[in-house]
Amino acid sequence: MADDKMSRRDFLLYAMGGWAAIGAAGVLYAMYKTWEPLPEVKAQATTKFDLSKVKPGQLKVVSWRGKPVFVLHKTPDMKKCEDRTVAGEYTVVLGICTHLGCIPNWEADKKIWHCPCHGGEYDACGRNIFGPPPRPLDIPPFKLEGKTIIIGEEGPEYKKLMEKA
Amino acid sequence: MKELKILAVIVVLVLIGYWGIEPLAHSIMHKHIEEAIKKYNLPDFKFSDLDPIPSGLQGNPQAGKEAVKTFCISCHSVKKEGINAPMPPQAAAQSFGVVPPDLSNIGGILDEKYLFNFLKNPQKATENPKFAMPALGLSDQQAIDIVAYLKSIAKKNMSGKEVVEEGCVRCHSIKYQKIQALSPPDTMKKYLGKVPPDLSVIYKAKGEEYLHAFINKPQAILPGTGMPRVGLDKEAQEKAIAYLEEIADPHKEQRTKVGIIVLAYLLVMVGLTYAWKRKIWKNLH
Amino acid sequence: MEKKGGLLEWLDKRLAVNALWRIMMSEYYLPKNINFLWSFGVLTMLVFAILVISGIFLLMYYKPDAKLAFDSVNKTIMMDVAFGWVFRHTHAVAASIMFLVLYIHMARGLYYGSYKAPREVVWITGFLLFVLMSATAFTGYLLPWGQMSYWAAQTITTLFEKIPFIGPDLVIWIRGNYIVADATLTRFFALHVVFLPLLLIFVTAVHLYAVRIVGSNNEDGIPMTKEEKKVKGIPFWPVFMAKEYFVMSVFLLFFFYLVFFNYNFAMDPINFQPADYLQTPMHIYPEWYFLAYYEVLRGFFFSQNLGLIAFVASMFIILFMPWLDRSPIVSGKHRPLYKIAFWIFIFDFIFLTILGKLPPTGLYAWLGLAGSIVFFLFFAALPIISKIEKSQVEKAGR
Repeated sequence: MADDKMSRRDFLLYAMGGWAAIGAAGVLYAMYKTWEPLPEVKAQATTKFDLSKVKPGQLKVVSWRGKPVFVLHKTPDMKKCEDRTVAGEYTVVLGICTHLGCIPNWEADKKIWHCPCHGGEYDACGRNIFGPPPRPLDIPPFKLEGKTIIIGEEGPEYKKLMEKA
Repeated sequence: MKELKILAVIVVLVLIGYWGIEPLAHSIMHKHIEEAIKKYNLPDFKFSDLDPIPSGLQGNPQAGKEAVKTFCISCHSVKKEGINAPMPPQAAAQSFGVVPPDLSNIGGILDEKYLFNFLKNPQKATENPKFAMPALGLSDQQAIDIVAYLKSIAKKNMSGKEVVEEGCVRCHSIKYQKIQALSPPDTMKKYLGKVPPDLSVIYKAKGEEYLHAFINKPQAILPGTGMPRVGLDKEAQEKAIAYLEEIADPHKEQRTKVGIIVLAYLLVMVGLTYAWKRKIWKNLH
Repeated sequence: MEKKGGLLEWLDKRLAVNALWRIMMSEYYLPKNINFLWSFGVLTMLVFAILVISGIFLLMYYKPDAKLAFDSVNKTIMMDVAFGWVFRHTHAVAASIMFLVLYIHMARGLYYGSYKAPREVVWITGFLLFVLMSATAFTGYLLPWGQMSYWAAQTITTLFEKIPFIGPDLVIWIRGNYIVADATLTRFFALHVVFLPLLLIFVTAVHLYAVRIVGSNNEDGIPMTKEEKKVKGIPFWPVFMAKEYFVMSVFLLFFFYLVFFNYNFAMDPINFQPADYLQTPMHIYPEWYFLAYYEVLRGFFFSQNLGLIAFVASMFIILFMPWLDRSPIVSGKHRPLYKIAFWIFIFDFIFLTILGKLPPTGLYAWLGLAGSIVFFLFFAALPIISKIEKSQVEKAGR
């Protein structure tokens, strides 16, 4: 009899506690959602850029999600690399050194990127050729629409490059 | 039961207080508005104070087109028909106070009778003696022809947003929708006495009933206001206000949905806690 | 909680958590003859917790700058932040409901004589909490930077101008400007989110501690000895709290009904117009919980100074209850005369609250005066009622 009473009491207690936990989870979910980036930030998730604006041999820096993207219009004298070239003649890479996240500078005379922090170097394809960087500069997801590149969206050309790499 | 009696007393007192500070205070403070609404039967989409269109008068769009070319395009553009504004908007605003509207779609939002009266006497139709457009001395036939023409070229079934852009945005900005008023604030301040308020959350500030009455007959609700009677027809005005509500309160649907879930959750909680309370208190001496 | 070993024991050795738990919860006995009005103390704690939590999330997007404040509230929080509108509605409704709960909590204390010896400290700290909460509500109301926010702050700060000698300078000092402006907003913000809540938490701790020392009052106002308590009383935990959970659930049901379906009373439409220092709205009035005092201020319409003195007195006079009312009988339940006075006072308070929102002209002005006088008559009558009751008790004693 006494045991019986206890068990019903326990059941109620667990039911109440469990139900309160569900409510707490709901509140936590709403709190979690408030920390998500705002719509205006999400609207910057992709950046459109017209590749034809970059003259041969020229480098342009595009801001994508607050990070620099290097768009280099390659000339025949630069290092060639089928698997890292966009739209036939462009190098499009995230301008963040793969070593510790500094922004490398383009040295037009040597046709390389040189990182000011620890002396890492990348060729015109964005491949690491000297110093501490562990891997080439990253290629951001992109999609081509004619000569316009949409950075931040995965198009078929991007997927092809990724397969080759 | 004693507890219920106490609860009843509290509920009654709270309700008296609520009635006093909400419905009662509202009815006393907004008396003049309610009286105006009753007096003019607002919103009055028949525009009863204006002259009726003489019976038998038929508008001819073709003749209207010619009349527009004669009378209107020295100030207005009709982009749809390839007629551009005679002067750039900034200069127009400098001389008139506001940018004169493009006439392409204006016929789609205005009431026919209102537009007829407006063309004959803008100051009377807008109930705004300072209204920038002068009376043109049109005959009844010319006026009705222009009405027919403007109605014939205007876009049909405009959305609420389009109505607001057509009818309100010449003077009002809607900051939260990134819509900037066409006329610059400083010239409007000179013309109207103040910069017209932003419409982003105006629905929450004014409420539906007020907006319906005010847009329909501004002088009746706020005597002396710089806002002209725009003359929106019933459909356009309803769409415009629905749009204003939507942008001021974009989470209405989500609010109802979440609200129902939360209340259902708490209802179960009330049941559980009541059972628990009975369980614990049953064993008390 | 009494389990041996493990983390609790480790903690107990270092923090005496078991003793604390016994004093604050499991061996804090409440009398049995109390009704659910005694739950409102815990409800104020609940609402305070809701205010703090929702406030923290508003704080993450709110911008205390005169140029940004309105949009950060009405655009960013209300439209862009996912569920931002829930937190704002919750915060606004909770602020309003806090005062409803507080007023009921205070009225219960008045009716059952909970301010009488030995509970004066409980009453004083409670009064302090009320003043602090009022200040928090007032400073918080400026933050959305709407028309009502602005003009409420403008008029209330102007009241300080009437203080002799230092008044005009004091007002400028409070505002940090000649009018309510950016400096005012930022300092009110600092008070609202840091200083006042910290004080509130501290005084709440003293309030709770004090009530555990002297024990809770009860319907009959008859004190129990320690032994009686253990036999006849109910422990705060878990017995009283079991009832409290039920009351809290019902309260939350009502509260969230307001948050989702009837929040307009806490969000004045005029406040959806951005603050404009060149144009006062047609009607301005405080939030409902200040209307009664506001009406006392306006009630003495023939003399501004008298109104101001009455206004300050109306807020503070309740602090002196323990000394105005010297009757030997504690609970209003056994005091027919006091009961009448109490109910007149309650209805007068509601009457003043309603009048406070109406225009102060014609008949309303005279009604306001009458209501204000009745408000003070209640306190003036207390010593007389005490005297009558004292002689009655003495007679019965013989």
